[in-house]
Amino acid sequence: MVDKRLTAEWIHGIVALIVGFFLLGASPNLGVLRSVVDFVGSVLSVPEYPAVVSREFLQDLYRWAKDKNDLTRQLKVLQDENSKLRITRSVLVAEQIKAELDARMEEARVTLREPHSWWNEFRIDKGFNQGVIIGLPVFQNGFLVGRVSSVSTFSSWVELLTSPALMIPVVIEETRELGVVVGDGSGSVLLTYIPEGRGIEAGMKVSTALISELLPPGIPIGSIADEGAASGSGYVTYKITPGAATSLLYTVTILKHSKGIFR
Amino acid sequence: MIYAVFWLAQDLLTVLTSGAMQIPEIFLSCLVYRLLTRDWEVNIFVIWTAFLGGLLWDLRWVGIPGFFALSYVSVVMLVLWVWNALPVSGRTPLVIFFLFWTAQLIPTILSALLLGRNISEARWMLFAAQQGCAVPVALLGAFFYFQHEKGQNA
Repeated sequence: MVDKRLTAEWIHGIVALIVGFFLLGASPNLGVLRSVVDFVGSVLSVPEYPAVVSREFLQDLYRWAKDKNDLTRQLKVLQDENSKLRITRSVLVAEQIKAELDARMEEARVTLREPHSWWNEFRIDKGFNQGVIIGLPVFQNGFLVGRVSSVSTFSSWVELLTSPALMIPVVIEETRELGVVVGDGSGSVLLTYIPEGRGIEAGMKVSTALISELLPPGIPIGSIADEGAASGSGYVTYKITPGAATSLLYTVTILKHSKGIFR
Repeated sequence: MIYAVFWLAQDLLTVLTSGAMQIPEIFLSCLVYRLLTRDWEVNIFVIWTAFLGGLLWDLRWVGIPGFFALSYVSVVMLVLWVWNALPVSGRTPLVIFFLFWTAQLIPTILSALLLGRNISEARWMLFAAQQGCAVPVALLGAFFYFQHEKGQNA
């Protein structure tokens, strides 16, 4: 029985192999082969349709992911490039501003400081002919020391920070609180019009607020010296320690006006 | 019917991969499983199913009728010969695995060698990838075989 079974299997197997070899040998000469292949392909295209759609979807998904990856990489490169360009531009602008400021800075010598108006004003050796006009800021050691109050041909008068006639709107840099700096005429500089309870502390820096093109914002004046004294009307007055040495004025620097830079 | 489903599954997977890689011989593994688990009447049916399945594969993918038909029938005959020559005590898991793996190896290596396609390094990489996928299929076939045997003995 087993032998009969094995014989039948071998006969069927050998016949299948012979038919296979016959087809393999005869296939180049079979004219209908192409038609049969096309027919099989067209019949199978129906059940294969979901696979074709899935393949296209997967290919699209792959392309989308690849494109996204490429775009992300390009974006990163552009962001880096943009950051570098911004830094380069900032450096160039800063250098340009520095060069312009250097050109506008004019050193002047203090030629007169009268004893009766010691804390109010002094005279410098630069005047109208050197481009000085009323209102220009005057510095010492990088800190505001006063403003030009009158100009003649070869000299000018500067109103000191300690003068009660000079009032300068300022900002406390740490809190952005606005106030007015004014002198008391006897060597002190005061910060006024600060509402009570704003957390102002000694050591906070004070600089100019936006006033005009002649006196740009951000010019350092000094720092708050004490805890302040309430005026009784809801405001506190603080004493300011000026950055400039107001009692040691031999030379000062004038920032000449230039249209455009502080627009 | 089950053979047609497995043939179609292999065909759909080939369409899905678009020829980027060779799909494991799922159809032939199904036939080998039938050979190992059914009686001799089914064996003859399996021989001709392998022939027809291979022929259809030739017409769909190769364009040379007879190539895969011969490969599939050769594998079936080889498995039958080994299976009948083995004593029952020799039908170990390793032998079963190798029989299933033969179904993966022979058609793929024959097509790589004889069809005259680019037998470049890349082609051999694809072959290696196919065999990498084929081993789990062979393991799965062996697993199902032993599951079936366990069910029979229970």
